[in-house]
Amino acid sequence: MTENKANENWEPKIIAFVCNWCTYAGADLAGISRLQYPPNVRLVRLPCSGRVNPFYVVKALQEGADGVLVSGCHPGECHYITGNLSARRKFAMLKNFLSYVGIEPDRTLFTWISASEGEKFAEVVKGVTEKVKALGPAKKLVKKFE
Amino acid sequence: MENIEKQLREEAKKLLAEKKVDVIVGYEEGTLPCQATPCFIEDPESVERLVWNKYCSVNLAKYVHDLIFQHKESQKRAKPEERTKKIVGVVARGCTTRSIVLHLQEKQYDRDQVVVIGVPCTGYISKKKLAVAVGGKEVTECSVAGDTLSVTTVDGTKDIPLKEVTAANCLTCRFNNPVISDMMIGDPAPAMDADNEYKEVDEFEGLSEEERWAYFTKEMDKCIRCYACRNTCPSCYCKVCFVEQSQPKWVGAGIDETDTQVFQFMRMFHMTGRCVDCGSCLEVCPMGVDLRTFLKKLDKDAYNQFEYRTGEALDKMPILSVHSTEDKEEFIFEP
Repeated sequence: MTENKANENWEPKIIAFVCNWCTYAGADLAGISRLQYPPNVRLVRLPCSGRVNPFYVVKALQEGADGVLVSGCHPGECHYITGNLSARRKFAMLKNFLSYVGIEPDRTLFTWISASEGEKFAEVVKGVTEKVKALGPAKKLVKKFE
Repeated sequence: MENIEKQLREEAKKLLAEKKVDVIVGYEEGTLPCQATPCFIEDPESVERLVWNKYCSVNLAKYVHDLIFQHKESQKRAKPEERTKKIVGVVARGCTTRSIVLHLQEKQYDRDQVVVIGVPCTGYISKKKLAVAVGGKEVTECSVAGDTLSVTTVDGTKDIPLKEVTAANCLTCRFNNPVISDMMIGDPAPAMDADNEYKEVDEFEGLSEEERWAYFTKEMDKCIRCYACRNTCPSCYCKVCFVEQSQPKWVGAGIDETDTQVFQFMRMFHMTGRCVDCGSCLEVCPMGVDLRTFLKKLDKDAYNQFEYRTGEALDKMPILSVHSTEDKEEFIFEP
């Protein structure tokens, strides 16, 4: 993995857990609008950001993701009324705890993107990819598959 | 102490004789010196077994939950009109009552199923600290007098100030008197040094990211995954724990170090707003993994961000059970 960083061709793998009702549609809009954004992100569609088990984030990091993005509807706009509000609490604690044990805070990012924000989606993916690229390949908590 | 013990036995006897409780969960003398083990008393005549001293360590709320749940399971086969409720009496110090509050908030049992016999607490003796104090020698005898503990080992008798061997979580305990109780025994205990409860966390936060990661991995390397911490934790009561789930298989069963790290990380994260800092996990850990530095961080964050302390009051719900539109969100990423 270390050699990979020296390798200029290294591209980060980013897993994005996105809400079906907003970010996923936002990503769709970005596609329809033919906006360019880095292809490093893999979307996992979920019914709500509240569906994101903190374990998904940790497990993604363990099994080889260099970065994790979680995105849902803006507070107050949840399809299920309060799903993203409980998610916000969970993520606030999770992000703090991850960085407390020594994992780079920029590897786990949380954001809100609505269905009409195709441009914001492209911007966020660009931003996340840049941040994770700056950190280099993940080394902590990564399981070695041999 | 003796006075409290005497009163405790009287109260326990009364409760059992009047059939107000089916069983009393308390501590009895252990088989080794410096040890008290949990005991279950159903017969009013055996209340003499109950003790209350400095060696009473593990959180008894775990057993309350276990007993009530086992009973509930056994009642599933009975006809609905014949089902009975099990009422458990428990000798509870501050942290035990906080765990009970948490169980009640999480609707694990009803308030009328538990009779809380509150006892004041000034901290228990940590067996790990004691082992360090006597240089790992086998303790053959020990007794507490005032503020000193005299321990006899092969090297002779040694007097140790209690403060040196009292568990770290007790020294900075904020709730050493019961939060809820049906009856109180003895006078309330004096306050502990609660202002310094986050000292270790603050120090740890001051370290660099690499240092913190090095410490985390060093501690987790010790872990042999015996799951004693989970088994003793009053907040860990899932019927099927995530480590035993196979679909999906959250944690690998191999020797990969990251599996242990992920297990510990997630078990600790499940304690978000639920850890009462009773120190039971540390007390039972055979490898001496320092979990408290990490668990206390969750406690600190919960207080700083949501002004919440676990089990403080019945109407203050655990942070992840409720939500608010007012929560801070400076952690949200905006490109």
